[in-house]
Amino acid sequence: MDTNAILGPVATLALWSMVMWVWMYATRIPAMSRAKIDAAKMVGGTGKGLDDVLPQEVQWKAHNYNHLMEQPTVFYAVALALAIGGMGGGLNAQIAWAYVALRIIHSLIQVTVNRVLWRFAVFALASLALLALCLHAFMGFVLH
Amino acid sequence: MPESLLAPGAVLALWTLIMLGWVAATRFPALAKSGIDLKAAPPGGRGADLETILPPQVNWKSHNYTHLLEQPTLFYAVIIFLHLSGGSTDLTRGLAWAYVILRIVHSLWQARVNRVPVRFAIFGLSTFCLLALSLLAVIATLG
Repeated sequence: MDTNAILGPVATLALWSMVMWVWMYATRIPAMSRAKIDAAKMVGGTGKGLDDVLPQEVQWKAHNYNHLMEQPTVFYAVALALAIGGMGGGLNAQIAWAYVALRIIHSLIQVTVNRVLWRFAVFALASLALLALCLHAFMGFVLH
Repeated sequence: MPESLLAPGAVLALWTLIMLGWVAATRFPALAKSGIDLKAAPPGGRGADLETILPPQVNWKSHNYTHLLEQPTLFYAVIIFLHLSGGSTDLTRGLAWAYVILRIVHSLWQARVNRVPVRFAIFGLSTFCLLALSLLAVIATLG
């Protein structure tokens, strides 16, 4: 069994985060010019300030990019720990793929229709997948 | 005590999801009480929008879950660096366990009492543990 198989979904989610980064700017920069905001003259703003200025569909891309910097950071840590501990193959790798697939679906929902209930359902499923990985890491590193 | 430096990291990751469960367990009854129906929520709503709607004690759980996705991510990176570069010693394992125990105390305090000076003191102590681990990680990786 390839105990590093879990690094595949890790790399995929990292790459997906960069795709969302591109998507964010590909929509934000045209929206800023439509809103007559000249970034060359800006001092000290943060992306959050654009929530009041840009259309919400544009900001949804940024909201999702930000979310990808939240819970997935625990996923990366746990997946790396599992790989280092020789537990990154088989079921754990499959759970990690499920986590990544669900996070990609979560992104697509948030940047398109953004229905809260759908988004919540997918987030909850992804969190359960991450919980399973955390429990396996706990059993492997702490109880072992 | 488990011998791996990654063991405290596994505990903190699991604790983070326990806090997420606590968020859900308190947020949903509070949403129901304030008459909010998730199915009818306007597109694009986020947890942060609940800041002005739900009682502070309910939001405190969510503030803490969010905090657990901030500084601890640096902790995970640092213990992995130490583990991979031969920096796993009694000292680093002790510091890592201290960091995780302090973060759990910090969570319990923020979620329940949340007096700021105490929260700050716990956060300050845990940050010193992380600072020491970071220094040791620089020494282990460059040395």
